[in-house]
Amino acid sequence: MADLEIINLHVRTEEREILHGVSLQVNKGETHALMGPNGSGKSTLANVLMGNDTYEVTEGQIIFNGEDITEEDPEKRSQAGLFLAFQYPAVVPGVSVANFLRLAINAHRDEPINVKEFRDRLKENMDLLKVPREFTSRYLNDGFSGGEKKRAEILQMAMLDPQIAVLDETDSGLDIDALRVVSEGVNALRERGMGSLIITHYQRILDYIKPDFVHILLEGRIVEEGGPELVAKLEEHGYDWIREEVASRAG
Amino acid sequence: MPASDDATTAPATIAADRAAALEIFEKTELPTWRRGGFWTTTLRDLKFDELGPREYPAVSSRDELPQVVRDALGDEQFAGLIVQRGASVIYSEVADDLPAGVIACTLEQAMADHGELTTKYYAKRIGHGEGKFTAANAALWSGGAFFYVPANTEVEKPFQVVNVIDEPGVAQYGRTLAIVDTSGKGIFREYNLAPDIEGQALHSGATEIFVEPNGWAKVKTFQDWGSGEVYDISTKRVAIARDAHARWFPIHLGGHLTKQTLDIVTADRGADMRHNGLYFTQGDELLDLFTTDLHESGDTTGDTVWKGAATGKSKASYEGLIEIREGCQNSHTYLQTHTLMLSKDAKVDAIPSLIVKTDDVSASHGGTVGEVDEHQVFYMRTRGISRQDAIRILVEGFFEPVIEQFEDEALETLVRERIQGKLAEASDDIASYAATK
Ligand SMILES: Nc1ncnc2c1ncn2[C@@H]1O[C@H](COP(=O)(O)OP(=O)(O)O)[C@@H](O)[C@H]1O
Ligand SMILES: [Mg+2]
Repeated sequence: MADLEIINLHVRTEEREILHGVSLQVNKGETHALMGPNGSGKSTLANVLMGNDTYEVTEGQIIFNGEDITEEDPEKRSQAGLFLAFQYPAVVPGVSVANFLRLAINAHRDEPINVKEFRDRLKENMDLLKVPREFTSRYLNDGFSGGEKKRAEILQMAMLDPQIAVLDETDSGLDIDALRVVSEGVNALRERGMGSLIITHYQRILDYIKPDFVHILLEGRIVEEGGPELVAKLEEHGYDWIREEVASRAG
Repeated sequence: MPASDDATTAPATIAADRAAALEIFEKTELPTWRRGGFWTTTLRDLKFDELGPREYPAVSSRDELPQVVRDALGDEQFAGLIVQRGASVIYSEVADDLPAGVIACTLEQAMADHGELTTKYYAKRIGHGEGKFTAANAALWSGGAFFYVPANTEVEKPFQVVNVIDEPGVAQYGRTLAIVDTSGKGIFREYNLAPDIEGQALHSGATEIFVEPNGWAKVKTFQDWGSGEVYDISTKRVAIARDAHARWFPIHLGGHLTKQTLDIVTADRGADMRHNGLYFTQGDELLDLFTTDLHESGDTTGDTVWKGAATGKSKASYEGLIEIREGCQNSHTYLQTHTLMLSKDAKVDAIPSLIVKTDDVSASHGGTVGEVDEHQVFYMRTRGISRQDAIRILVEGFFEPVIEQFEDEALETLVRERIQGKLAEASDDIASYAATK
């Protein structure tokens, strides 16, 4: 059994079903890309993985490290080693980045982290992600540019050192330099054994983070899976090609 | 005590003023405050006739002060410290390294020793003609605090007055008069404190603060009357002269019923004010604040920001008026109020208003009434933080931008701790409210 198993997941909001039976497996150390056009349900999947209760899971399961976490609280999932870098991170007014990181790290351990250990870890990861010093004293995401928010997400990921991370459109809003830095960060964590699910609808980030597996989500269903060659194919033919494939299969 | 250079004493005018005030007090009914908002603030449950001023013996060290006072003061050093319990100043301290001419003593003492100076300022901004309680204060105050920073003098350590009520039955009429003279600089703190008493008590205070031309003052008024039935009906006013600056932080963290008038007056050209308040109400507390940002002159600037949170069945109302008088061209001011509802049974009102009688000014207001945002809570939970902690962190974070600006470590710690304590007390209520959404 894979470290993270998503089995036949059906998800709906009050109005309608968004995911119609999604299955996906991610192991530690593996890098997966989840691609699909806008509105196909990528962020919904990411949110449901973390336990966002605005969505209802009507069928299927999420298994993490052998445990069924489908109904688990978000904080328990995080503590177990799952992470989501949000497409649209929330603002946490009045709480500095450094303070928030300390609170989050402490929520993952019994004893609060000691000051020096925290400072060293913060410095190491700030260097890794080329985050400027003054960044950590700003209120988290408050007045941040799109790119700054994404960096703050990745900084949190690096500090929390998850087993499996989902990165939801981390590439959007980043210029090419920032994208390179963030990708290097992700690759460094991958070296340490982190598994990841990189959600994107461009291939751009995948030039820097080479996926082992690629899944294509269309209208709430995984319609195509394969290796990195799928990215090139998508690049060349666009999502219309997938749509036609799906239509002809159905036909 | 610095030698007095002004040896006039207890002016007869003040005795006459007391007599006139007493007459008004005695023939005025207990007020009811009709408001623009959801409710009328009444004193119908106040057993006013059963309360009275109470005298207490002086103590000779901080160790003998009531616990609630010691806890709030810690071992901080002050330029001057006056502690008034009931009707009596029971303790005072004056730093021995103060610049020449600085005065810190009881107001009674100041009237005896510095008649000219006190007469110049006393009751100039808070007279006895604003209803039963300003009259009561003017007629019945005793002890009191007087702080004076002379011209061209900077005093770094804060001046501190503490009004404490630690028994039911007490009616306390506190009076604070503080002045920063021309080009002087000073910091004033007023703490109004009570432990959790059983029964009723009243504090009816009057606080006047004057900042003379080119002066600079920071004012911090901190109120926590505990969970007893303490009524606080007070008026506080800060008046800012030409090119002077004042920043006032009113902090309201407890009181059974609070009805206060808190005004800042920019009285002459170049006067600049900042008014940054916060409150947290819980249980069945009622907090009713009316602030006025009054521009008596043109070329004045103001900025008012209030933040409040309400839990339990509490009612909290903040009415903020910007008033710009005739002929006050080129005044610029802004008022905003942000309120956080933490319980379905709490009621909050935030009523900004404008009276502007001059063209060519900018005056505007804005505000929000919000609840803890579920998107923020979910975000924090995905970082391992429990729902309960996430809400606590968000409420603390809501106040933090104001607290941070105190630039006053002792007060910052005090306020953070009190807010944390209140959040802990209200945590079940807050969590059940959050869960309903
Ligand atoms: N909370 C929600 N309430 C209602 N509809 C939603 C909600 N979240 C997503 N949707 C809808 O589900 C579909 C998939 O959205 P989303 O998962 O954000 O797609 P993607 O991330 O692939 O662009 C869209 O049609 C979107 O409008
Ligand atoms: Mg999305």
